[in-house]
Amino acid sequence: MLELRLVQGSLLKKVLEAIRELVNDANFDCSATGFSLQAMDSSHVALVALLLRSEGFEHYRCDRNLSMGMNLNNMAKMLRCAGNDDIITLKADDGSDTVTFMFESPNQDKIADFEMKLMDIDSEHLGIPDAEYQAIVKMPAAEFARICKDLSSIGDTVVISVTKEGVKFSTAGDIGTANIVCRQNKTVDKPEEATIIEMQEPVSLTFALRYMNSFTKATPLSETVTISLSSELPVVVEYKIAEMGYIRFYLAPKIEEDEEDMKS
Amino acid sequence: MGIKGLTKLLADNAPKSMKEQKFESYFGRKIAIDASMSIYQFLIVVGRTGMETLTNEAGEVTSHLQGMFNRTIRLLEAGIKPVYVFDGQPPDLKKQELAKRFSKREDATKDLSTAIEAGDKESIEKFSKRTVKVTKQHNEDCKRLLRLMGVPIIEAPCEAEAECAALCKSDKVYAVASEDMDSLTFGAPRFLRHLMDPSSKKIPVMEFEIAKVLEELEFTMDQFIDLCILCGCDYCDSIKGIGGQTALKLIRQYGCIENMLENINRERYQIPEDWPYQEARRLFKEPMVSVDIPELKWTSPDEEGLGNFLVKENGFNQDRVTKAIEKIKAAKNKSSQGRLESFFKPVVSTSTPLKRKEKGCKLGTPQLTLKSSMFTIQVSSRSSFHIGSSKLPRPGCQFGYHNALSLTSCFST
Repeated sequence: MLELRLVQGSLLKKVLEAIRELVNDANFDCSATGFSLQAMDSSHVALVALLLRSEGFEHYRCDRNLSMGMNLNNMAKMLRCAGNDDIITLKADDGSDTVTFMFESPNQDKIADFEMKLMDIDSEHLGIPDAEYQAIVKMPAAEFARICKDLSSIGDTVVISVTKEGVKFSTAGDIGTANIVCRQNKTVDKPEEATIIEMQEPVSLTFALRYMNSFTKATPLSETVTISLSSELPVVVEYKIAEMGYIRFYLAPKIEEDEEDMKS
Repeated sequence: MGIKGLTKLLADNAPKSMKEQKFESYFGRKIAIDASMSIYQFLIVVGRTGMETLTNEAGEVTSHLQGMFNRTIRLLEAGIKPVYVFDGQPPDLKKQELAKRFSKREDATKDLSTAIEAGDKESIEKFSKRTVKVTKQHNEDCKRLLRLMGVPIIEAPCEAEAECAALCKSDKVYAVASEDMDSLTFGAPRFLRHLMDPSSKKIPVMEFEIAKVLEELEFTMDQFIDLCILCGCDYCDSIKGIGGQTALKLIRQYGCIENMLENINRERYQIPEDWPYQEARRLFKEPMVSVDIPELKWTSPDEEGLGNFLVKENGFNQDRVTKAIEKIKAAKNKSSQGRLESFFKPVVSTSTPLKRKEKGCKLGTPQLTLKSSMFTIQVSSRSSFHIGSSKLPRPGCQFGYHNALSLTSCFST
């Protein structure tokens, strides 16, 4: 038996919009800790990890650890039928092959039940070790989204380098090159507008912009984004979900290939 | 070819050992491909209408080049790193099988000429496909093409299948791609089918894992090899009356072929007099493979060389070749993308699926439980109606009720 009641229903709508481009089908896991998801894209280059802690729900009942396989596009279709102020309740019975989404309007005058078929999904769970990152950049989420969008009109990959001066995003394409430097900036009116760089040592990594752009679909969830970089590890792009948890995207870097016979 | 009926046998008895995978999921993986098998497929399929195939000005067949060129580009574009393995000298035991294929081709040639005389188009196509033979020249053409494309090739000392399996065992490649099931018998840890199928067919790649095959059958590798020999392989005749299921039963019962031969009812099953099963087993267990493989390298394509070879010598369209070369170059850039698995390792998930896996789907019982679960959903959707008690009719509730109704009628059929 599973029953999760989320007063701020729009949150779930936003979460779905943030991940459905990257992943088609995924298992949602429910435990006493919360409602979570871990899934890779089909080419196993990017991974999304979502956590909505049980404390963030108005009512949270989950008798045993469960996983529910869902087609994210279908789930998004159903959630789009919920109003932005609606309270969303997610329900499922033991042994059932469906999950029910109940949408209640704020003044309780409309209640809608949507029942969706579950699917069997064989997915691999990856163990993500806690790691110390060489550089952690915190910046406004909208700013990061803008940078990724702008750069992808020029090139396919972005080099993110963090030095004492700041964080540099650069790309190169057929028409030319682009470099955007964001400096540390703590003196702002609102804390969410700050750009904060914590650097242990300089780091520079290359990533496919296609994935970065897809991560920025999570921008509506959070004012700020945190980008953690280490030369030995995939980048982590994290959007905090207020009082609930987070959505984290991991992306494997491009690898420099040593090619001796580069014919010009 | 390969092991008779092994795919079905595994599907029935070790379903977990095979899974469908998306073509794209092999991104960044090195994969060994049995070249001879692919060339054979290309000669049969690519650009064929009746007896006509693609040829150059001199009238030489170029279907294999067209196929090899296009499919390899498709692999490269998906970020896959292919390495082609060519057959060497066949082992003596296989000569018998090869002789059989030769005589079959002879028959097909005769049938073909009768069909041509009769003007029967369907038979012409059927028999002309059967006369297809991969010649040394075809192999050499493809090797030259692949070298120009910057794709590594390996010439196996003996069987390409065995060499592929050895590459995979020593972790030089991630998986072996072939249509011949004996890759598994050679012990390839991961074996892929349909990787080289045209994208238009939309057949997902089927991945087999030998470790899971053995685990599910509860066999050792030696027992699995014996099973394959009994099913029927390229190296020796099978026993009349023993097919896949019987072979599985016999190995389960007796453990190995020796033991089986001692106990089996010889009147029911006629064992060939000179049955070289031990030799066949040896070929599977210790095949002749290269001892030292140089490091595999994927390099930039030789544009001028490709132009000369394909356009000038074999009459390919200049524009198409230029475009294809662009694709290869673009793909090279893509293949430098890392995979997450090289950083994070898989762990076992602790949650149990809410939806129970349905096994077999043939028995009546799982359907029953499904029905009752549908019933509880019905009740729960009604109870939601009571919880939010108010005077207004509930469109949502009506929807839920209707939904449950239609589903029940679905399941009752």
